Amino acid sequence: MRISSFRYLLKQGFRNIWTNRMMSFASFCVLLVSMLLIGFSLLFIANINMFIGSVEDRNEVIIFLNDDVSDERIEEMNNTLVQMDNISKVSFYSKEQAWEDMKADIPNANELFAYIDGEGQESPLIDAFRIRVTDIDKMSATLMEINKMSDIYDIRSPGDFIDILSGLKSMIAIISVIVLLALLVVSLVIIYNTTRASVDFRKKEINIMKYVGATNTFIKIPFFIEGMLMGILAGGIATLLTWLGYRELTELLMRDTTIWSVFNVSSFIPLEGTLLIAMALCYVASGAVIGAIGTVMSTGKYLKV
Amino acid sequence: MIELKGVSVKYSNGVDALNNVDLKVTDGEFVFVVGNSGAGKSTLIKLLLREVQANEGEVLVNGFNLTKMRRGKIPALRRTIGVVFQDFRLIPTLNVYDNIAFVLRCTDASPKVIRQRVPKVIGTLELGNKIKCFPNELSGGEQQRVALARALVNEPKLIIADEPTGNIDPRLSFEIVKLLQEINDQGTTVLMVTHEHDLVREFGGRTITLKDGSIVFDDYI
Repeated sequence: MRISSFRYLLKQGFRNIWTNRMMSFASFCVLLVSMLLIGFSLLFIANINMFIGSVEDRNEVIIFLNDDVSDERIEEMNNTLVQMDNISKVSFYSKEQAWEDMKADIPNANELFAYIDGEGQESPLIDAFRIRVTDIDKMSATLMEINKMSDIYDIRSPGDFIDILSGLKSMIAIISVIVLLALLVVSLVIIYNTTRASVDFRKKEINIMKYVGATNTFIKIPFFIEGMLMGILAGGIATLLTWLGYRELTELLMRDTTIWSVFNVSSFIPLEGTLLIAMALCYVASGAVIGAIGTVMSTGKYLKV
Repeated sequence: MIELKGVSVKYSNGVDALNNVDLKVTDGEFVFVVGNSGAGKSTLIKLLLREVQANEGEVLVNGFNLTKMRRGKIPALRRTIGVVFQDFRLIPTLNVYDNIAFVLRCTDASPKVIRQRVPKVIGTLELGNKIKCFPNELSGGEQQRVALARALVNEPKLIIADEPTGNIDPRLSFEIVKLLQEINDQGTTVLMVTHEHDLVREFGGRTITLKDGSIVFDDYI
């Protein structure tokens, strides 16, 4: 193809957007809304996962040991725990340390602590291990394995809360996939139909092109350029709207921090830097691809003349 | 050159549009094709443009064997044919100059060729003072002259005119056929489909009559 022809087709792509501005605007709006829906859904899912992650981080299992366990046995138990699959962190919490922490945690009880200290030389509490699990879903299996060890007095774990959290995480993962797929399918169907309506509007032009001997590629290029330009434009606007909308929304939600402190969350995922650039690139690239493919696919049936 | 050998076209709805048609139109001929509605005139045009395919027989147009031709070759065939439609089929968003140049742009012609050929046909069809007008600003006769210019600009070997006088008044119809004859005088083959018998009688020449998908008359009048 000649450069002059390509230049002509490029110009036609731009011209078509303006000539068919109503249809172009409709396609642009559909693309924009689809991108915003998908973008905000992804940010919502990412934040939910971050919340769950921070709650998970707080989940600690405490293994209380019998009072008469020797230092050698404690070392042995420490090694066993470290070697277990699902345990990410093991720390020994001595009864002396626990007693000191307790004194620090309860103010205005100095007299009581002095009285207890006067009764005996040793801490009245017992030694313990504090462990953290890697995969919350395997918590039950890990606890069963720990229970097999001797010299354990008691195990304190988040129990039901872990199960709820684990279930919630799985449920969110499934819902996220379903919602995203549904949004993607709905977007593609709407975009296809909108662009088809736009192309249908110009079937006469395509028909004439076919009769005068234009190749299918020649006919498709302006539509391809048109769809791609609209997609890029929609992607750019979607980035701007997501950035502004997300910033305002998170600021609004963080005005009252009480509820978020429950989840150990001090802020939402910030939409800036690399994440913002990645989102912009995804928006623009997907907009260009969907716009171009949707438009070109819609021309198909008119090319069979 | 057009050659049909034992051609039959049957549509998927069971209609026999053409039945065992034999036809030969040599280069430089002017042929009228007449017939009532449903006689097979439109199918004949679609067949020559390879819009439909023959179920039986062989179709040769301007050196292309349409029976064996791949879809990818259709644009090459159509570049050798200029088509004029009853409803003009001009692009409403392009002015006269661009409507005519459109054909050359579609066929990847160089800007130099476009600058040479478009003014030439505009001059031939006396459209010089209308080049910046859009189709809706032209009369029926003017629109048909633009359509004719568009068909001519690619310097085709064959012009197929499908009821070119159907949407214009009798005086302008006469003018359009005269223009087609002038084009024919310069060596281009012209196949004009019409249902206006008066026009055929007025101009005379080789006339083919189609009836129920068969040629029932093929002679000079």
